[in-house]
Amino acid sequence: MDVYLQTLLSGLAIGGVYALIALGFSITFTTTKTLNFAQGEFIAFGAFIGVTMLLLFSGLASTTTAVPSEAASAWRYPAAVIAAGAVAGLMGVLIFLLAVRPFAGKGGMNWVMSTLGFGVMLQSIGLAVWGPAPVMVPSPLGDDVLRIAGAGVRPQELLVLACAILIMVALDLVMRRSRIGKAMMAVAHSPQIASLMGINVGLIMIGAFALSSGLAGVAGVLIAPIASASLFMGIGFALKAFSAAIIGGLNNPRGCIYGGFILGVLESAVGLWQAQWREIVVFGLIILVLAFRPAGLFGQAAVDKV
Amino acid sequence: MTPKHTALKAALLGSALAMSSAAYAQEIKIGFNGDLSASPSAQSGQAGVLGIQAAIEDINAAGGVLGRKLTLVVRDDLSQPPKSIQNMSDLIDNEKVVAVLGPTNSGNALAWKHIPNQKKNPSIGCIGSATDITKPASANAENYMYRVSMVDRAQVAGLIAYTKNNPAIKNVGFLVETTGYGQGGLKDLQELAEAKGLKPVATEKFGVNDTDMTSQLNKMKSAGADAVLVWAQGTPIAQLVRSMEKINYFPVTLTSWAADNASFFDTAGKTLAEKPIFMRTITEDRTPKQQQLFDRLAPKMASKSAFSFAAHCYDALMITAAAIKQAGSTEGPKMREALDNLQAPVEGIMKTYNKPFSASEHEALTAADYRWTHWKDGKLVTYTDDVVKALKPTDFTQ
Repeated sequence: MDVYLQTLLSGLAIGGVYALIALGFSITFTTTKTLNFAQGEFIAFGAFIGVTMLLLFSGLASTTTAVPSEAASAWRYPAAVIAAGAVAGLMGVLIFLLAVRPFAGKGGMNWVMSTLGFGVMLQSIGLAVWGPAPVMVPSPLGDDVLRIAGAGVRPQELLVLACAILIMVALDLVMRRSRIGKAMMAVAHSPQIASLMGINVGLIMIGAFALSSGLAGVAGVLIAPIASASLFMGIGFALKAFSAAIIGGLNNPRGCIYGGFILGVLESAVGLWQAQWREIVVFGLIILVLAFRPAGLFGQAAVDKV
Repeated sequence: MTPKHTALKAALLGSALAMSSAAYAQEIKIGFNGDLSASPSAQSGQAGVLGIQAAIEDINAAGGVLGRKLTLVVRDDLSQPPKSIQNMSDLIDNEKVVAVLGPTNSGNALAWKHIPNQKKNPSIGCIGSATDITKPASANAENYMYRVSMVDRAQVAGLIAYTKNNPAIKNVGFLVETTGYGQGGLKDLQELAEAKGLKPVATEKFGVNDTDMTSQLNKMKSAGADAVLVWAQGTPIAQLVRSMEKINYFPVTLTSWAADNASFFDTAGKTLAEKPIFMRTITEDRTPKQQQLFDRLAPKMASKSAFSFAAHCYDALMITAAAIKQAGSTEGPKMREALDNLQAPVEGIMKTYNKPFSASEHEALTAADYRWTHWKDGKLVTYTDDVVKALKPTDFTQ
């Protein structure tokens, strides 16, 4: 029994990370019909902005590979999360203006290459500033294992889970209840019509990229105490999160969240059987979903009316 | 200015250039090709270069080799095999280096090991530890690949010997990561375990970026494993011991030497980092010679735990210089003959090398030179217990 509970808990913990990043993919896709393929680098970049902020706020020196645990205490960690989100959000505005807007809405796939390229640039800049070594980031809640009915989990994993759910609920409310959310949905539906209705389409699109990149930055600082901050950390998470978004449905933010949790628990459960089959099972599921429910498990099939 | 003056100036300039290029031609160039910037292992490459530079300074201060100074030509391969292959051709064909040291990543050495053999230019590895790097292309082929570093298979032999000779260990399990490194280690583990009559009760794999291995560990636990042999890089080994804590399952944990990385220590945390036992060439109980080099390089070294690579690479350069001296030439085939049969002992940082290589043995360091190591109070120190004390060199046979 312990074993299954452990599997579920471990799966939900990693699923929360996937969900948070998958949400970012969904936000840009629903508003601009483009994706930010540099999302992985934004996660890593965000994590290192967080590291820099923690050191700056606490005035402590870092060893080359670890941030001292006092640096994350009290208000500093939340402040670092917000700062990383803000900086990554600004970078998101940049990537939209430089790498997406020139190509968005036009045929072709130029934005795929230009966002990938932006990611490579971001990683190179990161390597020049912070170097290649991974840096361990302390959790603000300490590192002692918590026991829930015999299964062990670390406080940071619960924190990520809680943040993922909180951000999801907040975003869901904004999207469905507020004027901004409705404007975003209108732009997603048809930029031309939204523009005729007096919505500033350009601004909404910039906002979507800022929000999505900001989320990636926040995710970076949240994951860093679990996976340690590294400029190479993002790619794996981003790929899994993108898979989660496909499974849940790219055009449905809620679906992306469910997709993230499903993927996390599935991975953990497959590990209980044969861990080396994990990727095969995950990507096999994606092919099945694409074949039978192209819009994702929770997505609504878009009907193009001529 | 009169034409006469111009001509004089040109003549002076010309002769100055000729002199400098003559001095240039007399220098013996050694190459380094390895990752210095792009992956977490870049720190090992940086330490290696520091070691080579220190050795070159020492040799040049003593008058050089064959009356000529040594210089180092460094190429960063960004840990990418294609770039590493390109660097080899550039170093050997354009820069005319007489030997290449490095690389940082085993995979890159495996990608270009045919080049030193084809171009008859010795390569002395001092970082990467994959077993196959120094294997000849065919049984009697001329082999220009040498190494002064750890060898995976020799480490595996050590771990198996420990398991086999520890009466407290009843059931053993293998845990490896799914990369080439992990799979190579698993192959060595399985072959050597079978040769020694050791049968694992379970074999489990995990991804290099996984942050939770509780599922795999729960399977180990239910299979009754009281010891696990782990082959993975530093960070995943740290995640593994963190997962052990989650399910409160702590078997005897023997790992690859990647557990010596600072990133392992930082990720695992001070207490959990003390769980794994592994083999390493240097611990912090340094010999006086090692301490001397450590003190000399410490201000420039980003990661102190990468010091072993500085020492290996220092020795690799010393052995290369000894080979040039004995051959009386920098021609590849003559250097290879000298390397295979070095007459004078070479004073190194790790040890004094008496005939480090032969035609069939291209490893300068073997299991007997390794030390059992673990983390204690944030330091890499020598590990010892009754099992280690009772181990004999014959237990390490491969």
